[in-house]
Amino acid sequence: MNVLSFIAKNALRNGRRVTLTVSSVAVSCALLVTLQTLQRELTIPPESEGASLRVIVRNKVSLMQPLPARQLSVIERIPGVVAVSPFTFFGGTYAGETVTSFAQFAIDPERFRGLLVEGRIASGDYDDFVRDRTSCLVGADTMTRYKLKVGDRMKFTGTFYPIDPDLRIAAVFAGTVDDRGVFFNHKLLDDVTGGGSTVGTWYLRVASAKVAPDVITAINAAFANSSAEVRAETERAFQMSFMAMLGDVKSLTLSISAVVVFTLMLVSVSTMSMSIRERFRELAVLKALGFRRREIFSFILAESFGLAFVGAVFGIGGTWLFWSHINLQKLSNGFLIYFEVTPRIMAMGGTVAAVLGILSAIAPAIAVARMSVADGLRTLD
Amino acid sequence: MANDPIVQVRDLRKVFRQGDLDVIALNGVSVDIAPCEFVALMGPSGSGKSTLLHLIAGIDRPTSGTVLVQGINVAELNESQLADWRNQNVGFVFQTFNLIPVLTGFENVELPLLLTQLKRSERRRQVETALELVGLSDRMHHRPDQLSGGQQQRVAIARALVTDPALIVADEPTGNLDAKSAADVMLILQALARSSGKTVIMVTHDPKAAAYGTRSLHLEKGEIAA
Repeated sequence: MNVLSFIAKNALRNGRRVTLTVSSVAVSCALLVTLQTLQRELTIPPESEGASLRVIVRNKVSLMQPLPARQLSVIERIPGVVAVSPFTFFGGTYAGETVTSFAQFAIDPERFRGLLVEGRIASGDYDDFVRDRTSCLVGADTMTRYKLKVGDRMKFTGTFYPIDPDLRIAAVFAGTVDDRGVFFNHKLLDDVTGGGSTVGTWYLRVASAKVAPDVITAINAAFANSSAEVRAETERAFQMSFMAMLGDVKSLTLSISAVVVFTLMLVSVSTMSMSIRERFRELAVLKALGFRRREIFSFILAESFGLAFVGAVFGIGGTWLFWSHINLQKLSNGFLIYFEVTPRIMAMGGTVAAVLGILSAIAPAIAVARMSVADGLRTLD
Repeated sequence: MANDPIVQVRDLRKVFRQGDLDVIALNGVSVDIAPCEFVALMGPSGSGKSTLLHLIAGIDRPTSGTVLVQGINVAELNESQLADWRNQNVGFVFQTFNLIPVLTGFENVELPLLLTQLKRSERRRQVETALELVGLSDRMHHRPDQLSGGQQQRVAIARALVTDPALIVADEPTGNLDAKSAADVMLILQALARSSGKTVIMVTHDPKAAAYGTRSLHLEKGEIAA
């Protein structure tokens, strides 16, 4: 026997309690990791290099207010702007679905070519998309989801606009942060919105991340005091403000996470306290045999930490396995794409479990340290 | 100096606080115990015999007075020194055996040796020797719940012996045993004092158990009775 096997035998002496404790820690860790992953999924905007180069220009009053198409000539002359395209959210439904599970945008195909920074054409021909105003450019994830191929048709039902585009798939893009979108020619919308006098937003690419702030300032200034003042912001800032419309997701997940951690702490502290209380007499005997306070504290700490560690391994490892083998994109109808349990989130979950394991040992260890051997022995005879 | 007392107790007082009351457990006890003596501490409940045993063994601290064991004033040692001193100098035998239920007999006896620098093979040899001495070599790998009360107490005695301490303290070691097992345990303790050079101090209510000792001390109301 060595000290480690002594600690292990003590920790495992009550099988039911060990199972329940490890399960509690595992479930709590799984919940915590899942919440953190959800928060990351919902709040972290695209972090690609392209995202820092793209700027979205929208009506200062509201995202729903259109912008005059004549702004294009002003925007494209601003130094630092490399490419610019109208970018109008269509928001139609596809294949009889009642909700829009992927976004569709009307764009200028020729101008949009310069905006696909990190994307690539996976199949089909982009020039075909440019040539044929009734064709569309579709994200690879949507192609896979609906088992589509180049040449197939996609028929959308308009919800904001009185048009039901029936589009031929000309090309497929992949490699962007979100490979779900469908893009079609803005001219189709122009036909029903008064000959191309308005767009939803402007989507533009700047020469470098360094010049982006200057470009944003210049665009905002260019339309100040006009009939359609604009608000230009980076794609990241735009995504963040868009997510803010869902509510304060971060605070919500943080609050639930705090409750989970607190509950986990109560479970651990209660379990360790009960476990040590039952063994007061044995610990008094250990002291009588010559074990010092620090050694007994180490035993309690190792036991508590060990149970928390095993629970964390099961909980965090199980969560990682679960989410990495489940098609959440399909299950969530495309709402959640990656749901990646990152090493950072796993490390955070492990750290929380470890800290709780240590905290749980403190109260019982203090009680044992304060107990005189004679008092401990007196309780047993 | 072989006949110098191994334990010298002088004017020992122990007062417990119970609520608003001070309870005097020991009131100026003085006693010498020679090496290899087997002393039985007797007396009615509350007479202070267990308290005296605890103070001699260094698991409680006196209110006043001195306890010298092998010339060391036990009361002056700090918590850590006291723990080391107990490990090296005192073996404990309790009424309720107090074995760790998840460990085998062998592992229970090995427990105090985990605090020493001994190698695994040396620990094994010492544990086997101690268990052989109490006649339990054949059941060393059984857990306490697989042993009878008498066998458990013999494991406890082996645990007390394994570090080769000069002093064995036993608090009612036969209190939970049948007559046959009690006699076996008493013979082992007697042999330890007679043949192995140990000093045994035992608290007991039982005159038959006390008869195995070389001397009996009677305590009453915290004092040694004449």
